[in-house]
Amino acid sequence: MSAFLDERPRPIRSVSRFATFGLIIVLAVTGLIGRLFYLQIVDGSRLATLSVQNRTVLEAIPAPRGLIYDRRGRLLVANVATFVVKLRSADLPVDSRPVVVARLAALLKKDPADINATIDGNPGSTFDLVRIASDVDEATARLISEADFDLPGVEVAVEARRQYADGPLMSQILGYTGPVNGDQLKVLKDEGYLPDDLIGKAGLESKYEAELRGIYGSESVERDASGRKTQVLQTVTEAQPGDSLRLTIDTKHQEDAQKALVWAMRKVGIKRGVVIVMNPQTGEVMALVSLPTYDNNDFARGISNAAFKKLLRNPDKPLLNHAVQAHYPPGSTYKLVAGTGALADKKITPTTKVLTKGYLTIGSTKYYDWNRQGFGACDIYCGFGHSSDTFFFQMAGKLGIDRLGYWAKQYGFGAPTGIDLPGEVSGIVPTNRWKQAALGAPIFPGETYQAGIGQGYDVVTPIQLINAYTALANGGTLYQPQIVREIVGPDGNVVRPFEPKVLRDMKVPGSVLAVMRNAARSTVTLRHTYNLVDLPIKVAGKSGTAEFGLRDSKGRLPFHSWFVGFVPKDEKNGSFDKATSDLVVLAFAYDSRTKGNVATEIVKYYLQLHFDIKKDYRLPDLLKRGNFYQSN
Amino acid sequence: MGVIRAEPARVTDWAAKSVGAAWRAFDLQLTTYAALLVAIGLVMAYTNSVEDGTVPLSAGTTFSRGLMWAGIAVVVFVLTTVFDYHWLKTLAWPLYGFQLGLLVLTLAIGDGVGGSARWVAVGPLTFQFSEIAKILMIIVLASYLASREGKLDSLASIIGACLLVGPPLILVMLQPDLGTSLVFGGILAGMLWMSGASLRWLVLLGVGVLAMIPIAWTYILRDYQKERLTSFLDTNPDIQGAGYQLHQAQIAVGSGGIVGKGLTNGTQTQGDFLPVQATDFVFATLAEELGFIGGVVLFTLFVLLLWRVLVTGWRSRDAFGTLFAAGVASMILFQLVVNVGMVLGIMPITGIPLPFVTHGGASLVSMAAGLGILQSINIRQTRAAW
Repeated sequence: MSAFLDERPRPIRSVSRFATFGLIIVLAVTGLIGRLFYLQIVDGSRLATLSVQNRTVLEAIPAPRGLIYDRRGRLLVANVATFVVKLRSADLPVDSRPVVVARLAALLKKDPADINATIDGNPGSTFDLVRIASDVDEATARLISEADFDLPGVEVAVEARRQYADGPLMSQILGYTGPVNGDQLKVLKDEGYLPDDLIGKAGLESKYEAELRGIYGSESVERDASGRKTQVLQTVTEAQPGDSLRLTIDTKHQEDAQKALVWAMRKVGIKRGVVIVMNPQTGEVMALVSLPTYDNNDFARGISNAAFKKLLRNPDKPLLNHAVQAHYPPGSTYKLVAGTGALADKKITPTTKVLTKGYLTIGSTKYYDWNRQGFGACDIYCGFGHSSDTFFFQMAGKLGIDRLGYWAKQYGFGAPTGIDLPGEVSGIVPTNRWKQAALGAPIFPGETYQAGIGQGYDVVTPIQLINAYTALANGGTLYQPQIVREIVGPDGNVVRPFEPKVLRDMKVPGSVLAVMRNAARSTVTLRHTYNLVDLPIKVAGKSGTAEFGLRDSKGRLPFHSWFVGFVPKDEKNGSFDKATSDLVVLAFAYDSRTKGNVATEIVKYYLQLHFDIKKDYRLPDLLKRGNFYQSN
Repeated sequence: MGVIRAEPARVTDWAAKSVGAAWRAFDLQLTTYAALLVAIGLVMAYTNSVEDGTVPLSAGTTFSRGLMWAGIAVVVFVLTTVFDYHWLKTLAWPLYGFQLGLLVLTLAIGDGVGGSARWVAVGPLTFQFSEIAKILMIIVLASYLASREGKLDSLASIIGACLLVGPPLILVMLQPDLGTSLVFGGILAGMLWMSGASLRWLVLLGVGVLAMIPIAWTYILRDYQKERLTSFLDTNPDIQGAGYQLHQAQIAVGSGGIVGKGLTNGTQTQGDFLPVQATDFVFATLAEELGFIGGVVLFTLFVLLLWRVLVTGWRSRDAFGTLFAAGVASMILFQLVVNVGMVLGIMPITGIPLPFVTHGGASLVSMAAGLGILQSINIRQTRAAW
């Protein structure tokens, strides 16, 4: 047996080579064990901590947004739970993105381009969620959350969304919230805003963002590598709900104002209009309507790009609050400034008579009165009551542009009123200094005339104009108009009570304003405003017809109509000697070429609704298309 | 007159004796250690399947596929054990051609991540032919070197071996699969060493390879390969980018501690922080869930297995057996060190599977074939066991 084996050649095995190989095995494995020992036992606790940190993160708990009530406690904005669809692009493979987006678009009935734009516009990182759709119905939300496999990166969450009780009625006041954008996020990240957060974008939602938002809480949650929450470990800080707002707005007044404005706009075919109602004793805004408008619920539900673009393209700018965010020439309503100034600067007395004519001339230029016959010798009551242009050309001439500007500023023109709505513009009060700075030339005398009657360079916002008349009505206190009456904490305690805010006590004797109030009353009693005098309540005010734009084929300019009126506290028997009025109403109708003054009809209708006057004094004939200006 | 009793030979007796002898020569330890490693692999596949959130036994999970491949591996093991390994020497050249064919086929029709060609679909299964190529390479090299017995200390033998390894190595590199081509190099080095090749020439060869590195670095390696190769050296790695895998793997390993977090409790694994945890990073899952003790058990099994492989080589009466064992041992050791070293952050990231443990059909099947051939060598030696 062994002989047989021995005749075969010795195998090539070598003890030393086998031993070396074995040694290499032992050394290599020892090295691996050593490293394993180092990682798991020497460095283990540090790495264990990292592993815990890896999966626990602090996540924000959104705070319930504050609610908004009207002055009577009627709920205007509520939070309702809705399904939202979000996407984390890091979890969406690039190759399958077109397919996933197409599927989502079909499920959500959205344009794939919109979804792509949303994903690409994500202000955060690719690991952050992007809101694809809000207010998704339950059936669709279920479909999407169950189709996990076919929709990588897509998540369905339940979130609160804003529900605006009245939609378009209050949109211009309340505004809306929308996804925070990249630029905002850069600034607000440190304040705890999340990449998929919502933020007030317009109206009070924007102005009172800080109060409404509340303070987000935080919880430590366990998550996996792709950031999905696997469980909540503990709440670190509770979310603190936002404060609620109680407005000065009265829904009833708001509805009446809208009704009056819509009636006239429909009747005439006017595209833009504003009605504002204020309490001149406090500066509270009780109604503020700007048309055209939009439905803020569309935004709350997540407006489509197409619908948003349509709103942006509308030439009458429904997203703009024309009461505060746009300025227009005030026309004859501005004669309040020249009249007050002339009396206060003692250029005239209440009994001074001034000759009014068909026109005045400076050099070779004729400055026409709207009445080509003039009104003869006129005091302030006659001049203001008939709205004589030549009367106020002369008042402006006596004052000079800079004094006229001074009195305009006393009434609050040329500066924002500070109303608590975003985006307020200042208007323009022309003075020599202003024109030098803006146009590089001094004011020409003819321009002073124009400024005296609210034409030329004069532009005002409707809120400025009504605020000026509130100062007239209350005897010389210029208040800051306010929309939010009180701020109420989540516990129901008032955090900020209502307090009228005085902008300025006008430097004008009360007697001058009493004269101007009675002059405003004469506008009504002289039947310059037709049958307004027949109402069972006493109204004083001023109409305005402000030309703008380009002349038509007959050489006539289009014009806007204004009326600002106020009633005494005792609306039936009160007198305008006292500054007791608690109701001022302004109406503005853009491009309203009618036979009569539309704005006056709007205010008249509003007063009928406000005071529940059964008899209808409206004069629809005046709302027929026409132009009471002669060609000149 | 006597009666001649003619009795037929008792075939059953002979067969029983033969099987009995074979069974006594069969290395039960070798198979046991390998089976335990495969079992650990299946446990890891199970825990990774739990992580996927699926029922582990349902079709298509890592675990059920692992079970299926383990079944196939057993069949392959039995077939190769029964097969007389001496025939392999005869078949060496056809096998070499077959090996090259597989690799060319992979390049031609293979699929992979990001434009690479590594897997070939065979029916419902995907197959990484380069795994099969490794075991074929060992057969071919062993038979070549065995044929040069007596002249093994000559330079010609070394050059011949290198020329044989060259074409498959380059074909794998072209896929591109840097890791597997390095395994070819490891196999070559280990087998040359055990063949008794001249130390002088081996050292020279080693120096030559080292000299090649800068050239390969500049002209052959792609940027991502360089990044992966060097990211473990980076002391301040980009843990969100190239260093992410490594960072997460080390957190997984380190947080395992002495006894681990328990099976299916690994937060790194179950939380999906670990990339490719079911395949190349399976050791990270093991270290996280079974801890230092689990790791040491795994290493012990590998050392025991390697010991039995070397014993087989030592017992072999012919050079082919010795060299084949050397090749298998080199391959297992190389892959163990590179794979675990990668997870532990002391080796570059290369896509090399952990033998027996990594889920991956071709790797397991080729390992089973290797062990089967080793058993075939064992049971066909007439000398008593060590």
